[in-house]
Amino acid sequence: MRAGFLLAILLVSGGYAWLAFAELDYLSSAGRLGPGFFPRIIGVSLMVLCAASLYKDSGFRETLSAHWRTAAVVAALSAAFIALLEFLGGLLAMIAFMAAALAFLNRGRPWQNALLALVLPVCVYLLFKVWLNAALPRGVLLPL
Amino acid sequence: MDIFANLMLGLSVAVTPANLAYLLIGVMVGMVVGIIPGFGPAAALAILLPITFGMNPTGAVIMLAAIYYGAQYGGTVTSILLNTPGESSSVASTFDGYPLAQQGRAGPALVMQAVASFVGGTLGVILITVLAPAFAQVTRSFGPPEFFLLVMMGLSTLIVMVGGNWRYGVISALLGFALGTVGVDLETGQTRFTFRSAELIGGIDFIPIAIGLFGLGELYYAFYTGMHVSGTGGIVQYQKEKRFWPEVRDYVETKFSLLRGSVLGFVIGVIPGAGATIASLMSYSLEKSLSRTPEKFGKGAMAGLVGPEAANNAASSGAMVPLLTLGIPGSASTAVLLAAFVLWGLTPGPLLMGQKPEFAWGLIASMYLGNVALLALNIFAIPLFVQMVKLPYRILAPAVILVCTAGTYSVNGSIVETWLMFAAGLVGFFMKRHGFSPAALVLALVLGPLAEQSLRQSLTISRGSFGIFLERPMSLWILGITAVVLALGLLMRRSSRPD
Repeated sequence: MRAGFLLAILLVSGGYAWLAFAELDYLSSAGRLGPGFFPRIIGVSLMVLCAASLYKDSGFRETLSAHWRTAAVVAALSAAFIALLEFLGGLLAMIAFMAAALAFLNRGRPWQNALLALVLPVCVYLLFKVWLNAALPRGVLLPL
Repeated sequence: MDIFANLMLGLSVAVTPANLAYLLIGVMVGMVVGIIPGFGPAAALAILLPITFGMNPTGAVIMLAAIYYGAQYGGTVTSILLNTPGESSSVASTFDGYPLAQQGRAGPALVMQAVASFVGGTLGVILITVLAPAFAQVTRSFGPPEFFLLVMMGLSTLIVMVGGNWRYGVISALLGFALGTVGVDLETGQTRFTFRSAELIGGIDFIPIAIGLFGLGELYYAFYTGMHVSGTGGIVQYQKEKRFWPEVRDYVETKFSLLRGSVLGFVIGVIPGAGATIASLMSYSLEKSLSRTPEKFGKGAMAGLVGPEAANNAASSGAMVPLLTLGIPGSASTAVLLAAFVLWGLTPGPLLMGQKPEFAWGLIASMYLGNVALLALNIFAIPLFVQMVKLPYRILAPAVILVCTAGTYSVNGSIVETWLMFAAGLVGFFMKRHGFSPAALVLALVLGPLAEQSLRQSLTISRGSFGIFLERPMSLWILGITAVVLALGLLMRRSSRPD
């Protein structure tokens, strides 16, 4: 897991460094340090440190927590919530997310979950949309 | 204008009904945030930042600052009653706070921590009042080399002091710098790493990253560690009618611990990157080493609770000095505060106190009032806040995700930024899981543009010579302080390493 995370950072930093060298100038047209100066230092440093960490920590073994599935499901539900945000609209998406999340996390309490899934999103909606007059997406189904 | 007149001006701003209301909301939210384990002030500040958009700038910053220092008070309640620190700066308070509660002295421990927090916080604000204007005068002579060195000092201190693998700390900071380079280069106007996306031309917004890393990331990690199934059954019960108030000897025995913790905490807080956690741990070590009965530490010594508590609150006040006078945050929480300042069109730095006295002094004056409010809340409303500990995480967490998502979207009405927050949440989870430092990433993201600009300007002035960082007296001072702090940090790491 850790090696995979480090490898991902190494790949991203490799791409970053490549762009910094290939597309950004080290010196500006006025002869001063250009837009590529700082990114080159960062990109190369990142690559060196990631490679060194990969080498040093290659023997590191770790066990997954027993709760990793819960964390993964909550993350997946958050992603689904964002994906549905503009389609369902702010209020409906929030209600749907809360209902799904509570059904998964707070099992065996359907009435409590139903009440919370309705009340909390309405409160958040009123806070943002009415009190703060902030932008929340209007849905295709119910333009609220 | 002298300090007293400035303070009066600040008080006149802070006591307006609206600002007082924001202050009270801030301290209460801060208490709640501090009490809930796994949910720190940086997350709360980032999540609540969009909610402040409808407020006046001074009121908004007063509220956000109150959340920041209020969390230092709240974090200790669970340290004492549950042996679980509400946030990292309250870890030292578990060492003696929980044993005191187990001995039936939960009431005196809670009151003494409130008094210590109040003394530390208030002494810290007095020191800000006296020292910040002088500090601002000194920093007016700072040029690009000093600013670059200060940024490096903050980041290196954070990486060394927080502990863990230093390479991962540096990688975290470099990732923050890399994100900070996205967008238009201000010197040449050239776009960098935008991939022809109009959304990226203005750079990567700080708010979705901070909300993702500290809000979602912490939350996913809490689920991963099983916080949603761990109950609060071990909470120590206490009665307000019986043995609640401390005895006279508690005050007498700890009066010097209070003062030492406050002064030490403030000094540590002023150093960018050090922060409240380091201050409280150093205070604990100091109290133990100075005590005539060090064997009582860890078994319920009141000085072991009072010193660190005074220190972490004084440190949170001290951290406001570099923030207000230099615009350099020393922690993730103060980085979010800096973002709030910038959002409101306020540029922290040497000129802030002169150009916007009503804002700067209004904030400082509000901190006096906030500490008084927190003292009262901590003594008289603790049972109410203890109920918050019992709020199940499995209900709290979806509600937090709701606010994170709605808050991020509401800033610019951008679904791209909302996805960015989600991505930052995943990255934040993996960073926490593998010992990287989300705080260093956020700090570097905020300070990255300043670091790059000051480095390029310094090297332009010196025609490419790095010797410029060793030429000016102020630069040498900063380098000297950095060396001392890093040496102390390395010593602390070595001494805490198991044999």
